[in-house]
Amino acid sequence: MVHPPPDEPASVPNEDLMARVQRGDMNAYQELIRLYQKKVFRVISSYQRNPEDAMEVVQDTFLKVYTARNTWERRTSFAAWLYRIAINASIDRYRRSGKDKTAYLEDMVEAQIHKSATSNRPGNALDRLRAGERRSILEEAIRRLPARQREVISLRFFAEMQLVEIAEALHCPLGTVKSNLHKAINALKSLLLGREEVLSHG
Amino acid sequence: MDNCSRIKELLVLHAEGALEAADYDEVRAHLAACAACKREAGEIEQIRQWLTDPEVFAPTPDMAWQLLPSAIAARAKTARPVNRWLPANAGSPAWALSMAAVIVIGFGSIWLVNRPAPEPPALSAAEAPGNAAFLGKMQVAYAREATAQYLSECQDLLLTLMRAGKNCDGNNYDVSFEVERARRLIQRKQLLDSELKSPDVARAKALCDELDNFLVHLSTSDRCESPDKMRRMESYIQKEQLLLRINLLQSELS
Repeated sequence: MVHPPPDEPASVPNEDLMARVQRGDMNAYQELIRLYQKKVFRVISSYQRNPEDAMEVVQDTFLKVYTARNTWERRTSFAAWLYRIAINASIDRYRRSGKDKTAYLEDMVEAQIHKSATSNRPGNALDRLRAGERRSILEEAIRRLPARQREVISLRFFAEMQLVEIAEALHCPLGTVKSNLHKAINALKSLLLGREEVLSHG
Repeated sequence: MDNCSRIKELLVLHAEGALEAADYDEVRAHLAACAACKREAGEIEQIRQWLTDPEVFAPTPDMAWQLLPSAIAARAKTARPVNRWLPANAGSPAWALSMAAVIVIGFGSIWLVNRPAPEPPALSAAEAPGNAAFLGKMQVAYAREATAQYLSECQDLLLTLMRAGKNCDGNNYDVSFEVERARRLIQRKQLLDSELKSPDVARAKALCDELDNFLVHLSTSDRCESPDKMRRMESYIQKEQLLLRINLLQSELS
């Protein structure tokens, strides 16, 4: 179950805040930043390994929210619009920064799992890893997913959006979101648990 | 597809609670009887558990979130080049002079009437330190981008209008799409008016107002327009050099 984070919006709906931003209310704008900054950071981090780069993309995202504020339409979900901006900004930065570091990722995943699998302790190899190491492996595995699958995972688990909202954010049918979620979870399962089985029995 | 294969296709959505009732019941009944599928469902749940860990991709505790608004303002300042009327690489000095002449003749009188540039719109009280500078920079960045977007959409609409097809009631032009866009742009202009008071984009006000007048005229059109009215609209666009003037302003704002 996805738990609401401490920054979860309180009483004012986000669409109302955004409507106030459209009228030039900078307090409402800063409130939206406060509410969403950490979630946006998590979504962007699925593209950006370097936290400083991720932070710059967060800044670009919220700058765009302000400068393009009149292109948001009240009938659409603010969160869907916001995360569409965040994903586009991430993709832009990703393309500009020289993207292919997969060799490094594969090495890292292999090394971590191998280290665990050869430690002669019973039980699930990934479970045996310390929480921090397991998170690193999971993060790298998410970054290796095909773009659309990664977007669905990010929006579902880090932005904590409903599948319908994700469809709106990605401008695609609900069925496509479901299909990509299915593929993504199975890909992660295969990548993380499948490798473990191979290594454990190897 | 055997039953296990079909059930495995549904396990992720089952874990998400996103299945129809009939499928949900079927999966539940199958899992109660099939150890292999139950193990697979457990693995999927394991992955979901890891994904819901709030620490995955979490920012480090040392990140200074309270400085984010100031950092955004700093990026607003650097995101666009310094204000300039003509691009440095726009061509020869003679070209630049001729463009300047066009601008002076075209805008001079209207511009003089509209001077001095009004004050920027009043902003809400700031709370955090450094907010005054932040608000100012954001306002400038927004005014420039919003104006540039409005001009770009107007330009696109004018070009579409001039290319409208003669596919309405025989000899008439179908402008229903353009009329709808014109109405949306009129609403956009109402929101833009407060931004056009910013000194940074005040020079765009005259053209934006002129475009708005044209759009109001267009928005009253019928779905089908006669060739005569289409000619008059096109003639107006050319006579007033609307497309050229939009281009010049965009070169300043981009």
